[in-house]
Amino acid sequence: MIELKQIEKNYRRGAEEVRALRGVDLSIAAGELLAIIGPSGAGKTTLLHILGCLDQPSKGDVLFDGVNTSNMPESELVQLRREKIGFVFQQFYLIPGLSVFDNIALPLLFSKKQASRSKILALAEMVGLEHRLDHAPAQLSGGEMQRAAIARGLVNDPEVLLADEPTGNLDSENSDKIYALLRSLSQNGLATVMITHNTELAARAQRTVQIRDGLVHP
Amino acid sequence: MSGYLKLAGKNLLRHRTRSVLTMLGIAASVGVLFSVLSFNKGFTEGLAVELERTGLHFMVVPSGCAHEVAALVLHGAVIPKFLDTKVMEHVTATAGIDMATPILVAQLPDQQRGKIDLIYGVDMSVLSAIKPGWEITGKIPDQDNEILLGYEVAQHEKLQPGDQFSTGGGANLLVSGIVGLTGSQDDAFVYLPIKTAQKLLDHPAAATAIGVKVTDPTRMVEITDALTAAVPGIQIVTMGEVMNSISNLAASARALSLAIVLIAILISAVGVMNSILMAVFERTQEIGMMRAVGASRWDIFRIILEETTILSLSGGLVGILISILGSRLIEAFVRSVMPFVPSGNLISFDPVVAAGSVLFIFIIGLCAGIYPALKASKINPVEAIKG
Ligand SMILES: Nc1ncnc2c1ncn2[C@@H]1O[C@H](COP(=O)(O)OP(=O)(O)OP(=O)(O)O)[C@@H](O)[C@H]1O
Ligand SMILES: [Mg+2]
Repeated sequence: MIELKQIEKNYRRGAEEVRALRGVDLSIAAGELLAIIGPSGAGKTTLLHILGCLDQPSKGDVLFDGVNTSNMPESELVQLRREKIGFVFQQFYLIPGLSVFDNIALPLLFSKKQASRSKILALAEMVGLEHRLDHAPAQLSGGEMQRAAIARGLVNDPEVLLADEPTGNLDSENSDKIYALLRSLSQNGLATVMITHNTELAARAQRTVQIRDGLVHP
Repeated sequence: MSGYLKLAGKNLLRHRTRSVLTMLGIAASVGVLFSVLSFNKGFTEGLAVELERTGLHFMVVPSGCAHEVAALVLHGAVIPKFLDTKVMEHVTATAGIDMATPILVAQLPDQQRGKIDLIYGVDMSVLSAIKPGWEITGKIPDQDNEILLGYEVAQHEKLQPGDQFSTGGGANLLVSGIVGLTGSQDDAFVYLPIKTAQKLLDHPAAATAIGVKVTDPTRMVEITDALTAAVPGIQIVTMGEVMNSISNLAASARALSLAIVLIAILISAVGVMNSILMAVFERTQEIGMMRAVGASRWDIFRIILEETTILSLSGGLVGILISILGSRLIEAFVRSVMPFVPSGNLISFDPVVAAGSVLFIFIIGLCAGIYPALKASKINPVEAIKG
């Protein structure tokens, strides 16, 4: 589904060149739950953003369903993000002024789709927030916020869900819940990529890759 | 309601105080803009009605002080020059003249009491036409020895209708009425029948000006031309010219206030820009998130622009509401600072002017929103999300 070929990513920091990724090959299939681990600064987030077409590699190709995204114009990349990719972040990034319902429905605004009550309700049930839809994000616990954010990531029916340390701000009980949720999503056919520092969670994943010094180690 | 508008509205509500203050800044400047525009319309209309009501078509004055005449009729001022006694005869003898009424404005020294009275002599039957805005306590004089006091004179001398008033001429005059406070120099005059005034000045045919009404206004140019040709040393000022010179005064006052209002609007637009820019910086991460979940640059641009639009439009509407509700206060203020102000409603509200003011602030709001919106749309999602 997503294939990375010899991905390199360089950043400039003053005169110095930072080589965040130095030739990454990786492929992700539908229904797979992939855990990415690695030390801080290894390039995990950089890799995830390239997978999600939010960032462009300095070198190498990203194939999405066999289509090379390297030379796509920004408008097509936006379209791709809307239709096929869901993002989840460590800090949740829920909008404080909107209800849980409106937060989950937010991506539909950008993909110009109607936010049907039944669809949002179904997603909320899946993440266990059906009674919280009218609440403000501030009224939720951390675990509930992340589950709302996952529902938001799913609202456009993506092919892949990309989560950057989704349990990084949660206690172990809530981390387990999030992990269980992601696993069940992947079992239903969603490609799921999760960056984590939690080795115990990573060990439970179907597949784990380690990033070190900008390279993938299986 | 569009999702974007809702999102923009909810964003503004996150900083209620800041949004309300910014909006009030806009409201204040739009309110003043609308008042100034409405004021001018009401003022000109009121002025035309008022000059119409004097029933006079033109005034004959000694040459060389045309502008003082505008002041004389409407605003009480002393002109140091009398018309030649022959002028009145000439005017009444001219064909096409329906009525001519002499007006005498002068200083009358009272050596005994060490004061100088300002007197305004006029045929009492035309007084109410020349000064239509007056509220008189008592009555307009109908006897030769009766007078009307301006508000300040009455206050200063502590006089009531029915009291005696003594002047330099030695005559004892009876106060028949007192003019209510006008806020203009009219307050400082003593009004009396022209005959009495001439007697007091010891100048039986004196007049500072002659107000003239013609039988056929369309023939006015002919009549005034004939008059100027026949009588040397006079000048003719038509009511149209009086109106113009007052209008010009009002127009320059308006131009000045408009300039100030525009500056105020610019300042409040900068306030909007600043407030939205702050909101954009505070929401950098959130904007990065929105880009990641499918927002294009344009989507972000639009959300921010709609926030400024909501602020400026609501500010505009509130401002117009305030200026309609506060129009009495504004009128009172204008009356206290402008030299001649027609009575009646000065501010005339016109939906077209209101719509124009709102449209104007809408455009200004859009302009103020462009920079923050552009800034927001250029936020790099990758860097924003990393925090
Ligand atoms: N915009 C940037 N400019 C310069 N260097 C950058 C930039 N973004 C990332 N880097 C560098 O690239 C490297 C990889 O960063 P990345 O954020 O991918 O690490 P990570 O594996 O996600 O780390 P962590 O576990 O701490 O989140 C780091 O050395 C980082 O300093
Ligand atoms: Mg990271």
